[in-house]
Amino acid sequence: MVIEQYTITNKYNFPQPNIDTILPQRFLEQSLNSLKQVQLHQPFQLNQAVQQFNITEIYQSNLQLKPQAIPLKPDHQETIIAAIDTSTIKIGETTTGIIVAVRGAATWRQNHAYKYTRLGPFIFHITEDNKNQLFNTLEHAYFCTTYGSMHQASPNLMQMPARLASLLERWLQTMLAKTINHGVLLFDGSLTAGTIDTPTQRLKEILNYARRSNTTVLAFSKATILRANGVLITEQLPNRDPPYLLETTGMQSKPPQTLLGDVYVARLNKANIAFRLDIDRETDFTQQVDAVQKLLGNDLYTQSYPETLRLSHILCTFTANEVLAIKHFITRKHGIQIINRPDMHKLLFGPFGHKGEIYS
Amino acid sequence: MKLYKKEGNVLQIISFPTENVEKGDYLLVEDADAGKALIAQVIDVQFAAVPGVLEELLRTLPDGGEPLQGEDIDPMEIAPHITYIQDASLLICKIRATLENEMLSPSSSWLPSRSQSTIKKLSIPMLMKLANVDGKLPIILGGTKDSSLLTIDASSIDGTLNIITGKKGCGKSHLSKLLMVNLVGYKATVVIFDLNGEYSSLGMTNDGKRNMYYDKIHTLTPAQNFKVALEQLHLNTVMGILVNALHLPGTSAREFRRLWRMLKEKGKLNMQELGEAIRDLNCNQHVRDALASRFHSFANSGFFTDSIGEAMLLDETLFRSKESGGAIVINLKNTSNIDRQIVVEYVLGKLVDSLSSWKLKAVFLFAEEAHLYLRETYWDDIVTRMRHYGIFTTFITNQPDTIQETIYRQADNIFLFNFTNEHDLDVVSRAARVDVETVRSIAHDLPPHHCLTLGRVVRDFPIVARVRALDIKTMGETRLFFNDKN
Repeated sequence: MVIEQYTITNKYNFPQPNIDTILPQRFLEQSLNSLKQVQLHQPFQLNQAVQQFNITEIYQSNLQLKPQAIPLKPDHQETIIAAIDTSTIKIGETTTGIIVAVRGAATWRQNHAYKYTRLGPFIFHITEDNKNQLFNTLEHAYFCTTYGSMHQASPNLMQMPARLASLLERWLQTMLAKTINHGVLLFDGSLTAGTIDTPTQRLKEILNYARRSNTTVLAFSKATILRANGVLITEQLPNRDPPYLLETTGMQSKPPQTLLGDVYVARLNKANIAFRLDIDRETDFTQQVDAVQKLLGNDLYTQSYPETLRLSHILCTFTANEVLAIKHFITRKHGIQIINRPDMHKLLFGPFGHKGEIYS
Repeated sequence: MKLYKKEGNVLQIISFPTENVEKGDYLLVEDADAGKALIAQVIDVQFAAVPGVLEELLRTLPDGGEPLQGEDIDPMEIAPHITYIQDASLLICKIRATLENEMLSPSSSWLPSRSQSTIKKLSIPMLMKLANVDGKLPIILGGTKDSSLLTIDASSIDGTLNIITGKKGCGKSHLSKLLMVNLVGYKATVVIFDLNGEYSSLGMTNDGKRNMYYDKIHTLTPAQNFKVALEQLHLNTVMGILVNALHLPGTSAREFRRLWRMLKEKGKLNMQELGEAIRDLNCNQHVRDALASRFHSFANSGFFTDSIGEAMLLDETLFRSKESGGAIVINLKNTSNIDRQIVVEYVLGKLVDSLSSWKLKAVFLFAEEAHLYLRETYWDDIVTRMRHYGIFTTFITNQPDTIQETIYRQADNIFLFNFTNEHDLDVVSRAARVDVETVRSIAHDLPPHHCLTLGRVVRDFPIVARVRALDIKTMGETRLFFNDKN
């Protein structure tokens, strides 16, 4: 079987001296390889309830919020604010596996203008047979190690989309950490390492690269489960004018998980919304606060959330239109026939069969 | 293309950008299992409600309003597929007929299979062939979008009431000239009420030479080469002019009738004797004044003469046209409103006389902006009574609301040019052979010189065509102040 050769552009918009493109190249190769493995005209089932995977983590902690807020003052010194996010979506199922799409976006604000680079979508056909080979090839391509095989058993088929997205996200983070000097790098999520998707060593390397470039990493979590005295830390806001940070103490992680950041609660504007904010704990306190103040002075933050990070999320998210286009692509390009299998939820429960709903 | 919905006689079809379907196109929705096909016409093209398009558009705009600048590294080249889906269109189509065993029926009562039906474009020549539009007397109207010719049969204009309408400068007069010369070519007698003097050059080519119709075009200009002597007139015709054009009251009309008979018996039926008879008439002062004022209108029109040699009888021209066909252009340019009504009343009366006595078989009457010279009661007369005598009228107007609703209801063919004004389109859509949506949607977007043909001539399959050029000297152009300076 002849594999079509695709090449990707080596040039990115963000400043980069030595960007290596091995990972995207491998992503592409593996993507094409996996799609070739789908038998011609093999039907695949449309995903009945389209779900987008977000990379989340679960851990326990025993923490307190310091009552004294750290006031913030926007620092307008010109600073590059950059953010990364990735997204993955299950497009459908085949008789042997699943078809997923992965995409990443890096956004940055420079000279009062937002710019972005989007990478993907990459489309994979993941089966029980190819999942290990696929994941290890991609890991090895960039990180020269196979963390997955070292740290855990083979990933579950349904976890694979998130694993692939995580891999792409870490690669994008590494690229920006290496290339942005004296900037602020925004991550989606926390700085907790040692999880399935984030090996400790890998996150440490990323933070090291950033530090060497005098860049501070700030990680915003859209949702948190951390509670102090039984109440969510983002819901214990003092009665004072924002912007401010609330420092946490007593945060403990369960091995093998490691906290690589100091955990704060950030309320950046008058919107009564606060977020968990992890800041690289290897940077000193003053630099941590400075980084947040530079963020305030150089980015927009409607709803108390940085616009750069919001744009990254928006840009990488798959719309229904794109899902249709991807289905169109795999049908036309790879001869995969799309069929509609009956939705068992709808079939059995009629109008009550909402598969996507969550019941408490 | 894929069949999406059917509601009544409206189909909704999903089409992709490469399929290149436009308003006015015909589609054949074929259900092989049912052995039938629907013929539907696209009356509107909309964006398909593709999920996620709004998000797609919104995310390119940040808070500042400036489009977000960036680079998409899309190694698998999914972007063209996204555009393909995003640009999918929804075709709103009107079902025109059902095709079964190569026979057309106007039914739309069956439902083709949504999944199995195939949809393809139906070319105009194929449609015309199916509908048997071409006949033995072809008139090429113009070219359709798919580079084929729209040919109608002259016999489909025979015995019909037609309307040519559209906004100013879009080619109405051009189309009426095209129809006229073709009818004349088929030896028909055509009478034209030419309001702007633009039909008199039908016999000349663009470069001023005589064309094949030269000998068949007879231009009659009232008070110049078109005059009548009273003794040649029938009393009914004169009474028609007096009552209908000059609004002579009943009592005075009775007195005039008496005078006319008296003069005729004496062999003194001329303008001079008529004037004197009215002056000397021993009757009520009001009656005499009424008759005198009408007489002055007669005299001032210059249309009536006492010299038989000077009189140009319409009859003669009509009979000349009877054998080999011809167009009698009644040039109403530079004619006052009253004189215009006198002339039109005379011509129509004369035509009815000639037709009722079978001196003429039938006449195709082209009336431009008829509201300017046709009395109100004549509208119904023309479409009902006169039609039975053999006067087949084509109204040409840029003000569709000046034609009465009853005319639209009875119109057999409508040649519709562009209208932007919704009110104008509403008026036209009252025609019985037209559906409102088609008129509103297609006519609104017609380019200049493109005509939506509706009715019998196209077997009720509305077709858009660009009216073909004619090698005839143009006279209907608007005189411009800056023309020479350019």
